[in-house]
Amino acid sequence: MRKVLVVLLAVLGLAGLALAQTTVRVGVLLPISTVAGKAALNGVQLGVDEVNAGGKVKIELVVVDDGNTPATAVPALTKLMTVDRVDIVIGGLASGVTFALSGPVKQYNPLFLCIGAASSVVEQAFSDYGRFFHYHPWDYHNVAAALEFFKYLYDNGARRVAILYEDGPFGSAGIQTYRQQLQNQGYTVQAEPFKSGSGSFTAILTRFKSFRPDILYWIGYDVDALPIAAQTRQVGLEPKLIYGAPPAWPLGFEKNSLSNDVAGMTAWLPSVANTESRRFVTQYRRKFGEVTDEYMAPMGYVIAQSLGKAVEAANSADKDRIAAELAKVQMNTPFGPLSFKPSDTGRTRFQGFNQSIWLQFQYLEGSRRPVFPASRAARPLRFPGTY
Amino acid sequence: MDLLLQTLINGILAAGIYALVASGLALAVGVVGIVNFAHGEFSMIGAFVSYLLFVGAGIDPILSLGLAAIVLFLVGAITYYGLIRPVLAAPELNQMLLTFGLSVALQNIALLMFGADTRVVSTSYQGATITLGGVSFGVPPFAAFVLSVGLLGALYWFLGKTRLGFAVRAVAQNRLAPGLLGIETQQIYLLAFGLSAALAGIAGVMLSVMLYASPTVGFAYTLKAFAIIVMAGLGNLRGVVPAAIVLALAEAFVSTYVPGGGGWVEAVFFLVIFVALTWRSWRLP
Repeated sequence: MRKVLVVLLAVLGLAGLALAQTTVRVGVLLPISTVAGKAALNGVQLGVDEVNAGGKVKIELVVVDDGNTPATAVPALTKLMTVDRVDIVIGGLASGVTFALSGPVKQYNPLFLCIGAASSVVEQAFSDYGRFFHYHPWDYHNVAAALEFFKYLYDNGARRVAILYEDGPFGSAGIQTYRQQLQNQGYTVQAEPFKSGSGSFTAILTRFKSFRPDILYWIGYDVDALPIAAQTRQVGLEPKLIYGAPPAWPLGFEKNSLSNDVAGMTAWLPSVANTESRRFVTQYRRKFGEVTDEYMAPMGYVIAQSLGKAVEAANSADKDRIAAELAKVQMNTPFGPLSFKPSDTGRTRFQGFNQSIWLQFQYLEGSRRPVFPASRAARPLRFPGTY
Repeated sequence: MDLLLQTLINGILAAGIYALVASGLALAVGVVGIVNFAHGEFSMIGAFVSYLLFVGAGIDPILSLGLAAIVLFLVGAITYYGLIRPVLAAPELNQMLLTFGLSVALQNIALLMFGADTRVVSTSYQGATITLGGVSFGVPPFAAFVLSVGLLGALYWFLGKTRLGFAVRAVAQNRLAPGLLGIETQQIYLLAFGLSAALAGIAGVMLSVMLYASPTVGFAYTLKAFAIIVMAGLGNLRGVVPAAIVLALAEAFVSTYVPGGGGWVEAVFFLVIFVALTWRSWRLP
């Protein structure tokens, strides 16, 4: 009789726990064949594991590859909404893909937790959509952070900037504004377009030689990083700083001696010294057996964690109740504090991070080290660098 | 004056890698009669062979040139036996669709295996520079140029001085007659297609040093190779080097002397194809 009672109590206890647990199905739509997409997915999974381990919320993930192209992403979202019937979607890494998703998202009305997509074109596209939570800073935040760094370089003697920008939407959008802002800081600027992936920079770099730039600033893709670093030396350009702004850097670039002293911008590195960042690095290493320096990994982690908090507070799987709680979330993250406010332009209602999360790094002795702002620097900036 | 000299050198050195890719394509078109849209993907495989040997075994890409050539010769031979030979008698459109499909398939296989990311090798000489007077140029493009000239010289010698080379040229000129003289046409096709792929593979190794390895690295060079073989005359191997130099110089001059010319470089080869085809059609009766 006593045994029966114990079993009965255990069953009732488990049933009670199950009743108290809120389960939500979440679609994850990421370019999982890219390093950034894979890192983002790892971050989401790590965050979800921690949320689920808490016992009050159970998040079930349905992962689909957006192929990094609209042609794959739109059908993949449609499948998530109509076949898998999720109410919440985590995704939107590339701006072009996210822009293409704006129509279908408005059609199916999920709670859309956007991990990347910095272009303000995306901000405009989602301006009338109330279930859009954008975690990543917008492009004007990125520009503000970069300009702060350029002001520092100006104060340290830099006067001429040669800009190499790829002639597609990524590189050429806003180049005139950027050029103007640098000129407003006192710089003399010469800007030249190039075809990303062509590997042919010697002609343009040769032309830059007569301009004698202090800073060679290139806006392009990972495929351009090594040719630019190599050909800058080959034509004898000798800038004081090579500063790159690709969405991702090539695999193995840090091991190449040509990367030494090349600078760039990122939102996070494993060496960032705050409690949440250290905790994230430890957990990530434990789960995946390695450390990533892709900031999309902690970004995915933050999204999953914040979603878990919102679901717990809502005590419901209803997307509008979850959205209402998510809007109130305040938490510490590897990037610093997170809370949602209207975007600076007022176009979207729920903007997570701003320019304060960006930091400047430099490739030094085989890894990326934070060098600016001083409050987050692990090493002093090598300026002038040696190229 | 220095700028002009530098531009000329930039163009001529760029022609080396162009010629290497285009000569393989010219061989496939001229001897086998196949317009191989997957030629750039053979270069991509070469780039990955170099990258994997570097990462896995620490082998310098220059040392992996020979192995890459052998691997790509085998890939070319298998492709010939498995895909090309069955469609040799088919309409040209079918052949082109087949090689286009092969190109897409190889790119996607690489995507599945390696992802879309760009990978770079790390050698001590990637940034090495030679300076002569007021001009300077990189060691890797210079080495690629020397390698191209050497390999193409060897290829011309093979075609012009050896019995097997004569057989290849005979098959290129007439598909039926050499068979009547006892030349094994199928073996010549196999040899030519394998050599074509091997040349692409060697170019791929050089691309891994100068640029990167990624599933799409060969694509841009395939387009340029098409412009070169169109300019040289389809299948005309001897015209490949001059045509490569013309294209590379045109790109260098547009890049250097046209304002914003860096963005126009990719339009140059389309212009070259357009002009070459139009000129040929006017010249023909």
